Amino acid sequence: MSITARGVRRTFGDVVAVDHIDLDAPAGRVTALVGPNGSGKTTLLLVLASLLVPDAGDVRVAGFDPVTDARAVRARTGWMPDVFGTWESLTCREVLHTVADAFRIPRAAASARVDHLLEVVHLTDLADRPTQVLSRGQKQRLGLARALVNDPQVVLLDEPASGLDPRSRIELRGIVRALAAEGRTVLVSSHVLAELDEMADRAVIVARGRTVAVEELAAAAQARRTWRVRALDLASLVAALDARHTPHAPPDRDGVEVELGSDVEAAELLAELVRDGVPVVELAPAGGVLEQAYLALTEDRR
Amino acid sequence: MSDDTLASAAPVRPDDAPGGLPAGGGRGGTWGLGWSGIRTVAVLELRQRIRSTRWVAVLGVWTAILAVLTVLIRWAIRRTFAGSIQTTDGTVDAAGALPAADVAAGRVTFGIIVFLVLSLAGLVAPALSATSINGDRQAGVLATLQTTLLTPAQIVVGKLLAAWVTALALLAAGLPFLVWVYLDGGTPLGRLLVTLGVLALTLLVVCAVGLGWSGITSRTSSSAVLTYLTVALLGPGLPLLFLLSVPLVTENERVQVRTQTDFSVSITDPSQCTVLTEVRSLTHTERSWWLLAASPYVVVADASPKPTTRPGTDDPLAIIRDGVRDARLGPAVPVEECFYDDVQDRERQRQRDALGVTWPSGLAALLALGTAFTAIAVRRLRTPTRTLPAGTRVA
Repeated sequence: MSITARGVRRTFGDVVAVDHIDLDAPAGRVTALVGPNGSGKTTLLLVLASLLVPDAGDVRVAGFDPVTDARAVRARTGWMPDVFGTWESLTCREVLHTVADAFRIPRAAASARVDHLLEVVHLTDLADRPTQVLSRGQKQRLGLARALVNDPQVVLLDEPASGLDPRSRIELRGIVRALAAEGRTVLVSSHVLAELDEMADRAVIVARGRTVAVEELAAAAQARRTWRVRALDLASLVAALDARHTPHAPPDRDGVEVELGSDVEAAELLAELVRDGVPVVELAPAGGVLEQAYLALTEDRR
Repeated sequence: MSDDTLASAAPVRPDDAPGGLPAGGGRGGTWGLGWSGIRTVAVLELRQRIRSTRWVAVLGVWTAILAVLTVLIRWAIRRTFAGSIQTTDGTVDAAGALPAADVAAGRVTFGIIVFLVLSLAGLVAPALSATSINGDRQAGVLATLQTTLLTPAQIVVGKLLAAWVTALALLAAGLPFLVWVYLDGGTPLGRLLVTLGVLALTLLVVCAVGLGWSGITSRTSSSAVLTYLTVALLGPGLPLLFLLSVPLVTENERVQVRTQTDFSVSITDPSQCTVLTEVRSLTHTERSWWLLAASPYVVVADASPKPTTRPGTDDPLAIIRDGVRDARLGPAVPVEECFYDDVQDRERQRQRDALGVTWPSGLAALLALGTAFTAIAVRRLRTPTRTLPAGTRVA
């Protein structure tokens, strides 16, 4: 495990930000940290990034304790905060070079690394413009590049997709998957559940400062969930579903939601519907795996 | 999104750890003062300062104010001295090069300009560092540095260095005016150099105080106000406290008083004086003079070499220097009230000059203050933190 957190607790005065969070993030996987606003995600990431001392609990990042071995953790960790500023008068290139200097990366290696990262986040064209001209999404991308300057083993991304346009989101997904494919540990917190669905291997769901569930997203695909079926002829679809006793909700404008136990059941249903001559247009999960798990677990939200 | 791996571009290795990344163990990450880290922070700070257009305006206004005031003060002093001394003229100073009036005017003008530069620098320097740390915190850029291998000490010293360099730029802008007045004559070269040195160190201390406050308070306005108050305490505040302390060190006591035997005639020799024992109110400034010592005005005045041309106390630096030394000596006993010549005055002057210099202790106190505030700033930047200043976020 490249990140392990056991029983982490952190309060601010009488506000309990993190009550009791357990989290494991293995190397080579993308772990999603999911939860409602104020559930302690950012505070946990601050603990992992060696900025906050937890009140209780045991934390290891890349094998080191962020409280006692902060430097060892920092050398191996890249952290992208949820809200951050940039040195407005510096150019993108200078920002990354400054961070490289702060990590004591030799000049030649730093130049190559900075050029490469600017290319990865598509800021090469803006490399020599001051960061104050960047849009919110461009700043977000610069923040991602900044978190990767020290070639980190462990990457902590706090709401990386916020402010990104659709294309940048897709590119972010590619970057995150590439990071994991290289054997790095990636922990991503986000509200955009559909994004995480495609990006993450595992999800740790937190609510009110506590870990409420750990989902293997591959396994979640085998769990019972809601699918949506659309057909050109809604009446024949409903008739076919009723004929095979598939539980379904009342049909809406152009489709029906059905409860299916697994992907295998979905495949079987599709084959039968086609065989019965129902003009099926679409059979797909209604909402992502993660979204369904998340909604099921956070129903008690105030 | 490029397809090549993120690690492929370059092997990235911190150059301080040949075997790889810093290993675990040890908490020595707070006070480490490697130069490369300090330089990284200082370059970052200076770059941002230079690129803000405000900075050019500040330097311009600063130079303009100094220029106007220098011209006016120089003109006024020279006029005054030309009027008062020309009548009894005919004497020249020891070097024989310049008329006495010009020398005296040059010396007075130099002293005033030094205090002017010191005072204006005290007004401007706090702005250079008083929002440095909490301003970065508010802008969300402090944590970016804290999560790198930079130690808190490197961040603080880097910021201090950048603020000081900026302050020295202000001093450099004032240098032509000091040199101009110096060239008017009457001022020893040593005085010019000492003045510049003390000014530079005072600015360093002010920058450190600002940095300390900016680490202590979370709001930039609070740290700015506290820095100005601290500078005000050091500048005019300490001399004011000295004055306020006078009642505390004033006592009625029985002392010997040398007085005239006959007040109807003017005294011509010591035999006309007699010593009585009377109850007098004496102010023991030798107990409170140290309040003056740490004031930058006193440090610069006491450190300035005395002009060799005349024994007189005719310029601001010499007046302050002698005044503080008088305070150190305390009241003269027996109390002198029999004035038949200036023997007593000259004896007093001899005692003053025999006293050890006060400026090293004053300067040491200032530097200790600066060091303390720097250390406070470093402690406030240590991460991971247990407590957060009220109303602040970490990142």
